Amino acid sequence: MPIITTHNLSKVYNPDTVPVHALRDVNLEFEEGEFTTVRGPSGSGKTTLLNMIGGLDNPTEGHVEIGDISITGMKENKLIEFRLNNIGFVFQAYNLIPVFTAYENVTFIMLLQKRSKQEMKKRADELLSAMGLKDKVDSRPKELSGGEQQRVAVARALASRPKFILADEPTANLDTESAMNLLDLMEKMNREENVTFIFSTHDQRVIDRARRVITMVDGAIHKDEKKASP
Amino acid sequence: MKMLFSIAWRNIWRHPGRSGVLIASIVAGMWAGIMVSSWANGLIDQRVNNVINEELTHAQIHHPEFLTERDPGMYIEQHDEIITFLESDSRVQSYSSRTLLDGMIQSAATTSGARIIGVDKEMERETTTFHHNLTEGEYLGSDLRNPIFIGEDLINKLNVKIGDRIVLTFQNIENEITSGAFTVSGVFRTGQNLYDEQTVYVNRNDLSGLVANRPLYHEIAIMLYDRSQGEQLVSEINENFSSVTAETWIELSPEMRYMTQASGSYMFYIMIVILFALAFGILNTMTMAIFERMRELGMLMAIGMNKLRVFTMIMLESVMLTLTGAAVGIFVGYLTVNYFNKNGLDLTAIGGDSFEIWGYEALVYPYVNPEEYLYVMILVIATALLAAIYPALKALKLVPGEVVRE
Repeated sequence: MPIITTHNLSKVYNPDTVPVHALRDVNLEFEEGEFTTVRGPSGSGKTTLLNMIGGLDNPTEGHVEIGDISITGMKENKLIEFRLNNIGFVFQAYNLIPVFTAYENVTFIMLLQKRSKQEMKKRADELLSAMGLKDKVDSRPKELSGGEQQRVAVARALASRPKFILADEPTANLDTESAMNLLDLMEKMNREENVTFIFSTHDQRVIDRARRVITMVDGAIHKDEKKASP
Repeated sequence: MKMLFSIAWRNIWRHPGRSGVLIASIVAGMWAGIMVSSWANGLIDQRVNNVINEELTHAQIHHPEFLTERDPGMYIEQHDEIITFLESDSRVQSYSSRTLLDGMIQSAATTSGARIIGVDKEMERETTTFHHNLTEGEYLGSDLRNPIFIGEDLINKLNVKIGDRIVLTFQNIENEITSGAFTVSGVFRTGQNLYDEQTVYVNRNDLSGLVANRPLYHEIAIMLYDRSQGEQLVSEINENFSSVTAETWIELSPEMRYMTQASGSYMFYIMIVILFALAFGILNTMTMAIFERMRELGMLMAIGMNKLRVFTMIMLESVMLTLTGAAVGIFVGYLTVNYFNKNGLDLTAIGGDSFEIWGYEALVYPYVNPEEYLYVMILVIATALLAAIYPALKALKLVPGEVVRE
């Protein structure tokens, strides 16, 4: 059973003035453990698609199912709770909490989940070590490089043990070395812990590493290619 | 909740300069409010004590209609029985029986209206501190015939000096006009110009012959060991002596009653005005803080922080920011008030003699009742919450998908 299904997903911005068709009748299925990239030029609807899947925005038509639960039209607070426990997010601009240390940024999401102190510490130590940030646990975001901040963001996304992670242009602000490191880590988490990753990107470095590449043009699925497993 | 406190507190210090300016303005506002209201409290207390100690006393007994009619014939008929009662009552510290008349005072130069108070010098001295107001001569000197103790403004008006003779004219109990010559023995100054221009003290025995050929008293002024027992005492007197009315100082002086009742509320009103002004500063700071963090707030909602938590976090930021300033301001205010409560706050340089014209002294001992600090804290929290509602509601309207993408 797919963990994510989109049914006839459409999104029109400014329907009453100058309508912009961001998504047009998108039907997709994602299986557990996928390492998928959604590619396409700017304005092709990549981020909109990820926002719909993540429940951050509502479609104009169609709906999204996570497992067997339809999140479209779900009440706001229920949806926030659903996201907390099922979806991990990695943003292009890292979006860490600037007043928190790396460790606190990672444990924050577990605090929201009301996990025990011991569990939070164990999980945060484990993830920050896996991300190569063992010696940066007490650093605040402004004391970290872009690559380190994005690794903290990935650790935060993984901390809540989500069903899948949505990463919107995660390497866009990173240099090649940082981007490759980050991709290595995400690939490792995908391989070893079977975490599902869905990226939106036009970064060829990410596209090259993905096992499934969905190409979008003008809000519609143009191509959906699965690469053979290495 | 601990997490929300932690994030809210740290958010305050993201812009130490901006938060610092707001906190400093709250500190200044709180300090100023406390100082002004403590000074008002001190002024009122001083005035009430002065009035009680100098003349009003804790309780007074009169003929039921004397205070409205001021008729010399409305004297205390059961005077001796009441005195026996008072002398046997352990709550009573001292008392003074007075003869009160309204009349005219005349010198060679001019004539003026006068309130004439006939007292037993020693009893009055034990009961009130009025004799402390002596500025010249003697308080009803015993070696003079018919001595009169006269206000400073009145002696100037009459253009007389110590030893000069003046004539008092008033009605006796038969409603006939009668006069008596008195010799100026001393001059007093209470600081209340109106009182000093209208009031004279004479020995009550010197008045008796002129008023009724026998001693009669219109007023018994009572000082208690504990002023809070006044109400109980007057109620017992009223029960036991039907021909008189006993009243406490609060009942006798509506002005004092109003001032005492108002003293606790000055802080309240002053703080409301100050906090109203500060609320705009808080609103501005919080709105700026929220607009700057739109993407971050969107991210928090995206990753799973619900709206109630976001709302609570913003409210906490506002309350913590405001309370920090308020706590410092109140502490500094408390220290300042304590210092001046011990050493006195002399406002002569600012107010000159104007305080005396209105019956106050320029040296004030300010104070704040402990519960007033509590009221201020409650007001501060309410202000912080009200000022944060708008920015918090703005934050709740965020659509995470839109702000995160931006």
